[in-house]
Amino acid sequence: MTDLTRRQLLSFSAAALAAGAIPRRAGARPLDDVTAAGRLRVAVYRDNPPFSFHRDGTLVGVDVDLARTIAERLGVGIEYMELTAGETVADDLRNAVWKGHYLGGGVADIMMHVPYEKEFGLRNPEAVLFAPYQREHFALARNPMRMTQPMLAALPDEPVGVEIDSIPDFFLLGAFGGRLRDRVVHYMTIPLAVAALEKGEVAAVVATQSQVEAALGERVKNFPVTPVTFPGMMTSSWDIGLAVKDNSRDLAYAVGDIVAALLEDGTVAGVFGKYGVTHNAIPTE
Amino acid sequence: MKRLFRTCLLASAMAAGLGLSTLGLSTAAGAAEGPSNDDLLNDAKSTGDVLTYGMGLQAQRFSPLDKLTPDTVKGLIPVWSFSFGGEKQRGQEAQPIVHDGTIYVTGSYSRLYAVDAKTGQKKWQYDHRLPEGIMPCCDVVNRGAAIYKDKVYFATLDARLVALNKDTGKVVWSKKIADYQAGFSATAAPLIVDGKIITGNSGGEFGVVGAVEARDAETGELIWTRPTVEGNMGTLNGKESTMTGKLNASWSGDLYKTGGGATWLGGTYDPETKMLFFGTGNPAPWNSHLRPGDNLYTSSTLAIDPANGEIKWHYQTTPHDGWDFDGVNELVSFDLKKDGQVIKAGAKADRNGFFYVLDRTNGKLINASPFVTKITWAKEIDLKTGRPVYVDENRPGAPEAAEKGKSVFAAPAFLGAKNWMPMAYSPATDLFYVPANEWGMDIWNEPITYKKGAAYLGAGFTIKPLYNDYIGALRAIDPKTGKIVWEYKNPAPLWGGVLTTAGNLVFTGTPEGYLKAFDAKSGKEVWHFNTGSGVVGSPVTWEQDGEQYVAVVSGWGGAVPLWGGDVAKLVKDINQGGSLWVFKLPKA
Repeated sequence: MTDLTRRQLLSFSAAALAAGAIPRRAGARPLDDVTAAGRLRVAVYRDNPPFSFHRDGTLVGVDVDLARTIAERLGVGIEYMELTAGETVADDLRNAVWKGHYLGGGVADIMMHVPYEKEFGLRNPEAVLFAPYQREHFALARNPMRMTQPMLAALPDEPVGVEIDSIPDFFLLGAFGGRLRDRVVHYMTIPLAVAALEKGEVAAVVATQSQVEAALGERVKNFPVTPVTFPGMMTSSWDIGLAVKDNSRDLAYAVGDIVAALLEDGTVAGVFGKYGVTHNAIPTE
Repeated sequence: MKRLFRTCLLASAMAAGLGLSTLGLSTAAGAAEGPSNDDLLNDAKSTGDVLTYGMGLQAQRFSPLDKLTPDTVKGLIPVWSFSFGGEKQRGQEAQPIVHDGTIYVTGSYSRLYAVDAKTGQKKWQYDHRLPEGIMPCCDVVNRGAAIYKDKVYFATLDARLVALNKDTGKVVWSKKIADYQAGFSATAAPLIVDGKIITGNSGGEFGVVGAVEARDAETGELIWTRPTVEGNMGTLNGKESTMTGKLNASWSGDLYKTGGGATWLGGTYDPETKMLFFGTGNPAPWNSHLRPGDNLYTSSTLAIDPANGEIKWHYQTTPHDGWDFDGVNELVSFDLKKDGQVIKAGAKADRNGFFYVLDRTNGKLINASPFVTKITWAKEIDLKTGRPVYVDENRPGAPEAAEKGKSVFAAPAFLGAKNWMPMAYSPATDLFYVPANEWGMDIWNEPITYKKGAAYLGAGFTIKPLYNDYIGALRAIDPKTGKIVWEYKNPAPLWGGVLTTAGNLVFTGTPEGYLKAFDAKSGKEVWHFNTGSGVVGSPVTWEQDGEQYVAVVSGWGGAVPLWGGDVAKLVKDINQGGSLWVFKLPKA
């Protein structure tokens, strides 16, 4: 197989090939190009439940559904670009919207699930951050029989589950002089941690509220979920929005208007609800 | 034709007074079947081929050839150059393999080529089909192939091991060695010992434990695995064998299950002690304050029995690594001639900046000395205890405890005083030739950073050169004393392997594009040739039709342009490439 063929297979979706279209991959395209192409290419994280993940072979999730609705409102089709998370979101912005990964595959028109914060935006001038749609925070899900109070400082002598390499992981390993270190149990995903909570392997799970609520589903009535703060570790809540390349502001304005309308008419809250997650609206300042 | 060619080689080897071993004869008879295990064991001595990564399983990268000398090297001329083709280039870090008139060389993006050694004519090419979603940490490099009997082998970026027929390039078997979707990758050259193909693992952002694994070279079936982190269980013939170390002896809680220690650079083998030597990577998580203890056996060298995967000894170069130093660098076996004795020793130039000489029969430290000018993390290595004397105040702080905005300077930088690029040892000069880099890093706590859409306090790094006029330094080190005998300074960081010969020469490449030759005793530069792109591969030499050949791949890339901070800016104008250059000293 020649390199050219291999690159095409890497880069283009089967649908694009079937349609006989050879899409341009040079850069994120402003609004006119998206409209002319009739398709919006959206970057979502790989394996990031409940926002973007595979269920029975189909890509689903809050971000996936929201992106589809955005494309519908723009009057174009949708194509997803699944993104493997890098060391930091700055790497992800480079790979997803303004440069592309050095392995190839091109860039997307917009990226979902990008932190929306002024300081972070200033440090990433190659991208435009816009349209925050969720306020995230950390939460504790507990077995109320074993852990009577939803407070980290009052964690009893019981094992607590976290997602490996997550912020709660780092926090609990170091918190209170390392007092909890030997009781932190690591899981590859939060659904696995929640399964361990149900089986009694751990007495609590610490993760983002979206992760833990979605993983619990109906079981939330047995395992109450409470927001928690991590003392000494910056703010415990932040906002999630979208990003485009800095040359695509017109696309950002159009998509921003759509997101505002979707927030207004309750569509966003509905999508979150569909995955068992509370939608936390961002207060207007 | 093949037989005639071989006969010529043997005749010239005899003429050169190198002796004719029975092992050499078996190579001649076995050209069609490919190299035997004995041929691999004899690779350091045989001059008509290059059968192993390291030019011998001990990885001395020393050739007994002596036609090329500081005097004759000016006659070394290019014979042909072979382009890797394709529209993607990036880093070419391979060492060629030469067997029976064919050069087997790997290229970026998991490609393998068989090329006629005389003419540069391509015989076949294998392009591995890479899936979407691979995330190699440090460029799309590959460090070389292995050859055994009728097959050539190489590892791919999607963490597979592929065996191909050496004559046709057709896939014989292809085995998954790790899950690329979990972030694993494979770039090292495989090692073949007693019919087993032995590999490490690489990549894995998290959830990874390093391992060394042995497979049947014929079938690819797994024989044994040896995890590198204490508390994890090894396997032998499909059953649990023994636990690595002791559970929770140097790790808290369940952190050993995800403790790091990846063996991404592969290993070496010493036929005299019958031990494999594998270096292990840094522990996880990065913040050392979260994992008190030595975190065995990360940032270490492990001696492993190739028969069953049992650990014979370990030596940890950076206990409780908090700098991302790794301990993956190769251990090179050699005879240390000291105080009238010959000690079976091994040397390792560690990323942490110290050059270690160990007794390779038991892992005891004999000597450790700095091979770069600035080391901030430790004062010295205590020769009695074998442990570093830390400079505690220079350990990077815990992000949540540290003063906001405070920046700490640490040297060496996390790319290491020496990174992946292999050194060479000459039994003729009794010197090691180490490709080093003089750089440090600023580490600071970022006010806020994000990972996969979640916020946290992170650390930022940027690599900085220590000096204005050079970063790279090729250094000749006397293993008896640790003294630096000579050095060659290079403006850009050195990122290629080293070769030395009985003809009193040392070869290495530079990112500026040159393959250079130095007088092995004095360090005087005696020859150079610009290959058109940066040289970050490992050169080899062999004899063919009575003439001495040298080959090296050219193609700038690797981790420096991706992770090099300020240094990346210095080298951003170097053009990429992808080619194999072959040189020879024509008959007078």
